[in-house]
Amino acid sequence: MFTESWQSVGPSLDECIKCNICTAYCPVAAVTDRFPGPKYAGPQAQRFRENGQPHAPDRSVDYCSGCRVCNEVCPTGVKIAELNARARAQMVAEQGIPLRNRLLGRNELLGKLGSLAPRLANLGLHNHVSRVMAEKVVGIAREAPLPRFSEEGTFGSWMKRTAGERLRSDRKVVYFHGCATMYYEPFVGKATVVVLEHLGYEVIVPPQNCCGLPLLSNGEFGAARRYHEGNLHKLVPYAQQGYEIVGSSTSCTLTLKEEAPELLDMFDEESEELKLAVWDVFEWLRERYRQGELPTDFKPLPMVLPYHPPCQYRAHRVGRPAAELLALIPGLDVRVSTARCCGIAGTYGYKREKYQIGMDVGAELFEFVREQGREVRMTACDSETCRWQLEHGTGLPSRHPIEVLAAAYGLYDLERREPRGV
Amino acid sequence: MTRRLQTEILVIGGGATGVGIAWDAALRGFDVILVEKRDLTHGTTGRYHGLLHSGGRYVVKDPQSARECIAENRILRRTHPHCIEDTGGFFVVTPEDEGEYPDRFVQACAETGVPCEEIALREAFRREPLLNRRISRVFEVPDGAADSFLATHVTAQAARQAGARILTYHEVTGLLLRGPEGAREVVGARVEDLAGGETLEIHATMTINATGAWAGQIARMAGLTVEVIPGKGVMVAMNHRLVNTVINRCKMPADGDILVPIHTVSVIGTTDVRVPDPEHYGIEPWEVALMLAEGDKLVPGLSRARAVRAWAGVRPLYQEGYTGASREATRQFTLLDHARRDGVQGLLTIIGGKWTTFRLMAEKTVDKACEYLGTRQPCQTATTQVPGAEQGHYWLGHRLHEVEEHELHGDLVCECELVTRAMLENAVYRNPTLTLDDLRRDLRLGMGPCQGGFCTYRAVGILHEMRERAGEAGGEVDRSDWEVAYMQSPAHNRSLPPPSSLPLALSSPNLLLRDFLQERWKGVRPILWGRQLKQEMLDSLIYLSLMNVDHLPDAGLTSPMTAFYEQDAGDVGETEAGV
Amino acid sequence: MREIPDLLVIGAGLSGLMAAYEAAEAGLRVKVIAKGLGSMHWSAGTVDVLGYAAGDKAVSMPLQELEGLQAVAPHHPYVVAGAEAVTEALSRFVALAKELGLPYEGAEEPGRNLWLPSPVGAARPVYLAPQGQRYGDLALAEPIVVVGFEGLRDFYPWVIAENLRKQGHRARGTVLPFALLSERRDANTVQLAQELDELKRVVTLARALKEVVEPGERVGLPALVGLDRHGRAMEVLQEELGTRVFEIPTLPPSVPGMRLYRALRSDLEGRGVEVEIGMEAVGYEAKEENGGFRRLLWVETATSARPLKHRARAFLLATGGLLGGGFDSNHEGRVWERVFDLPLAMPQNREDWFRPKFLDPAGHPVFQGGVSVDREFRPVSPEGKRLFANLWAAGNGLRDCDGIRERSREGIAIVTGIAAARSILVALRREKHVH
Repeated sequence: MFTESWQSVGPSLDECIKCNICTAYCPVAAVTDRFPGPKYAGPQAQRFRENGQPHAPDRSVDYCSGCRVCNEVCPTGVKIAELNARARAQMVAEQGIPLRNRLLGRNELLGKLGSLAPRLANLGLHNHVSRVMAEKVVGIAREAPLPRFSEEGTFGSWMKRTAGERLRSDRKVVYFHGCATMYYEPFVGKATVVVLEHLGYEVIVPPQNCCGLPLLSNGEFGAARRYHEGNLHKLVPYAQQGYEIVGSSTSCTLTLKEEAPELLDMFDEESEELKLAVWDVFEWLRERYRQGELPTDFKPLPMVLPYHPPCQYRAHRVGRPAAELLALIPGLDVRVSTARCCGIAGTYGYKREKYQIGMDVGAELFEFVREQGREVRMTACDSETCRWQLEHGTGLPSRHPIEVLAAAYGLYDLERREPRGV
Repeated sequence: MTRRLQTEILVIGGGATGVGIAWDAALRGFDVILVEKRDLTHGTTGRYHGLLHSGGRYVVKDPQSARECIAENRILRRTHPHCIEDTGGFFVVTPEDEGEYPDRFVQACAETGVPCEEIALREAFRREPLLNRRISRVFEVPDGAADSFLATHVTAQAARQAGARILTYHEVTGLLLRGPEGAREVVGARVEDLAGGETLEIHATMTINATGAWAGQIARMAGLTVEVIPGKGVMVAMNHRLVNTVINRCKMPADGDILVPIHTVSVIGTTDVRVPDPEHYGIEPWEVALMLAEGDKLVPGLSRARAVRAWAGVRPLYQEGYTGASREATRQFTLLDHARRDGVQGLLTIIGGKWTTFRLMAEKTVDKACEYLGTRQPCQTATTQVPGAEQGHYWLGHRLHEVEEHELHGDLVCECELVTRAMLENAVYRNPTLTLDDLRRDLRLGMGPCQGGFCTYRAVGILHEMRERAGEAGGEVDRSDWEVAYMQSPAHNRSLPPPSSLPLALSSPNLLLRDFLQERWKGVRPILWGRQLKQEMLDSLIYLSLMNVDHLPDAGLTSPMTAFYEQDAGDVGETEAGV
Repeated sequence: MREIPDLLVIGAGLSGLMAAYEAAEAGLRVKVIAKGLGSMHWSAGTVDVLGYAAGDKAVSMPLQELEGLQAVAPHHPYVVAGAEAVTEALSRFVALAKELGLPYEGAEEPGRNLWLPSPVGAARPVYLAPQGQRYGDLALAEPIVVVGFEGLRDFYPWVIAENLRKQGHRARGTVLPFALLSERRDANTVQLAQELDELKRVVTLARALKEVVEPGERVGLPALVGLDRHGRAMEVLQEELGTRVFEIPTLPPSVPGMRLYRALRSDLEGRGVEVEIGMEAVGYEAKEENGGFRRLLWVETATSARPLKHRARAFLLATGGLLGGGFDSNHEGRVWERVFDLPLAMPQNREDWFRPKFLDPAGHPVFQGGVSVDREFRPVSPEGKRLFANLWAAGNGLRDCDGIRERSREGIAIVTGIAAARSILVALRREKHVH
């Protein structure tokens, strides 16, 4: 198994004083008996696991969605969600991985394949027959909000195509786009690029691979380690040259900063260098704002916008910078949700046996959106899978806040999801 | 009115040795009564670190003990498998353990027959990642971890099944003596039933003093002098398993040189300090500090991990004519035949030894009793399995596994140690219970990180509810044959209908509550800092702010255990460190 | 450049939130950060002001004890605040609670402690009770039926009833099927309370209660009668039953405490106060200023990568003590305050931390130590010298109080939270005036 060390997440179980606050706030335990709650599955069960067990004694930990609400509310600092992720990895190491989880863990590979013939792939995937098949054969819930492959080409191909139009500048920033932007939502990448350029930065998009989070949350630690090592190899040289690395997928940036090193026990110098260079795009923009470097030439965007700071964003513990910056846009009435989780939690809500749990967890958020009134046209959220779940649960389109910001700068069409010609 | 009982063999002392004797004697067909002044294993048996010796610790210093240990280790793995976790053990050479000891150790293992294999460091660190990386050599031996509570309970059940009577909370107040000075004979004992308030006279052909560190006090009742060397050993339990293998320092046995993974914790032990009284001793801050400092040499960082509890046991060491330091006294056991030694008939005293050799001590003692009782039945304990043996070896995840398989999450009373309501109820129905501390020994109730913070209240509520409902359904449970073999198994304990009456003093919930809170406090107080202090403050908030337990009615009530729990370590006076 | 907050409150317990409320109400821009949730989620949800004075003397009129307190504990937060501030802060809380839709009440005779049944049936001294617990008042004459639910591990009606009887009250216990609360097999009190936010379930429960309640009895239930719609649930029960219904608090997590926390937090957010949970303060930056003070520039919190700076004009430390997480301690006998390493009035030797008996009426010395403050609730050195120009401290981390033993946790939190906020207001106004 993985090396235990004092830095590792395991010893954090000692912080637990059994107060049950985590269980009181856990959105999953609130809706199902299948998950006995974070305290039980985390610091409590961990004392019965330890390394070198003959076999993993518990299964219910697989029902932890990994949303980290427990970590957020814990008064003593137990890394509960990480303990659970570790326990799941132990199960995977012993019992093997279902094909379904292998697939969900490899969205980069799927993205590459799908993007070869996106129209065909979408046709093949998004029809009733194949969804029923997918549910029966591999256990992916038929109703779950699977994304569509981009039919206008990948983000990478757009960067290539528009290379001549891209800003050149002394001020440079590295962009980590993540798999979803690359293959499903290139427009999020485009919006990010035009905003960064609006601030006067040249955007470097180096070769990169999946951050490994889907693998981590499905317990495939070995494969996740290879991904993280790949990113260290590709990105650390930039960090060492003093570049900041900005990402628009908040779960990717969280993984690069903290999740991968913690879960994989990679506390080496390179991981540390990468961690300190990586920023979530709004975390980085807020810093520019605080330094007085953020242009505020916003055009009014008169609308009510329910915004959900996703679990992964809250796990950064940097506050709600997107909400802070969107609040600067004239006319925009940002309503920040206090819902705990949308329920999808990465790949959790895609799984047949967890789909309904995910929807029940998300009910709090869907209700919040409904409460904001009938004039609401769209919602916003920083995380791709959460946006898809939000759309699924509310029937309203959902946008990344960077798209909203880009639109407020007049650089982006929020309806058609593409940059406006400058 | 004094009740009179008659038996062939009266065993005094409900530790491993006494219970082992009762089992052995009953299997050989003797009529046996065992009396214990408190709960089984209240004494040293219940206050040790839980090591099943391979004998490795004694190969150099005490080869005879080592030979006995490895032989008994093999036997107990067959007779009491479910009480033993097959952790294996390492003897490790730290930078401070240089010199020729490691080579002597290997040699002595070979001579005494203790299996010992040097393993590659890489392999050792793979298995135990937290081990000190400066360790230079590692030897593997067949050490194990033993649950001495469960082992003693199931041995007692086996003894009962063979016809023995076992009376807990029965304190010997005097020996029944006959004959003039010089031709004195012990013919039994006067016994106080502490729970029932009754006085018994138990007449016996042979009385066996198996009271360990208290043996001198019993012998004195017959006018005899038995100089026990009470060697106090302090142990500190760390909140979780830092290691899964028993880790010993490869050097002459000394303070703080062993780390035992037992159930959910790891125990660092021990000191060895001669104390004046086996009942009254404290845990000194220097002893705790020493354990942590020595623990750091095995697992660097141990001293910063969360300690969950400290306790001390008193080794009943005995060496005829010896007056030195307890650490240097022999670990072998001694059988005193008072007829030959002192001219007093009818009394044997068995003393010394260690948990691992309890069965052998019992065998030798009953062999001797046979000589006097005039029969030559062979000993059967080495080949007889105790109840529950079919469960196989204990493994750490077993409770969690059963809770999961049977979806018992909602029934947990002690969430830290995974005790269900049905386990609690059955433990009360199926074996005598006077205090929550008894249930702790039966089930591990309150032994986890919160040290009873949540389960004390729940257990009190459930016990009280049982009393309220007793007779409701009228299901009578036959308690003449205590069922304890599966007591620790969540899956095997399902709710029974409440019996028509409940045993012993479940009468005052307030007393149960106060007693157990104080009992838990006694053991956490020496290690309260950092996270455990925070925990204790939450527990205080629960029992003071929320419950107002310190202002409940019945403040004056006491149980036979109250004074023991309240005894102030600070008032004990100086102990003789290293004398 | 974005305007920095006037006040950064560190800690989201009752003292921190009350201070934030007081400051926001006065027009300050306030931000609250906390490592996690705590305090209110563990307590009974009542406001205990002073239940036991020195010598374990039961207190019936807490505010009249303050003078006596001065003699035995001159640095006690109530003494520092002064009797007037204590009285006023408590009235302030009552007014706020009413505004929150979660009214708190005291005994009929103003200033007198209520005695309410604890989860084991002891009488708890409470100064202000949430309406839901108010009718547990043991001074009332009606007999009590304590109703529990089969298999609910955190509530035991018969123990409560038996102990109440032993204290001369008329009480009995009974149980109803667990299925009335929930179809779930495994649920804690918070989850059960959420089930009772459903009106249908409350009505069903009322019907079942009718079957077991005798005429003239009032009904004691575990504190899980609704979370967000508690008020409505209580009304429905009392209406249907035609009798008084009250809650008895349970083991943590505390539903009544959680109600108060949620109501307070959402009120604050409505006033534009940001409340950020999951942010652990790990450092600070200060500069030397004239007069030997240091002025705090920012406090840093841990994030997934680099520390995050929180600038403000004034800072309030409301992180609690050993329990709240404001202090830490080690086996060498050191106790320290975790953000600013403020000096603590605390026994230095681990041997002096505790008394041999857990329930010793004098309490344990280590639980009584804490931060020394001056009359303005600014932390001071052992010599009484102010340490920072813009740092205040409030709550149960202050010295010479033992909230758990005295039964004064909430009182201390409210009084010191409000007093510190007022002191901050004065200081900031003075500063503005000067500039």
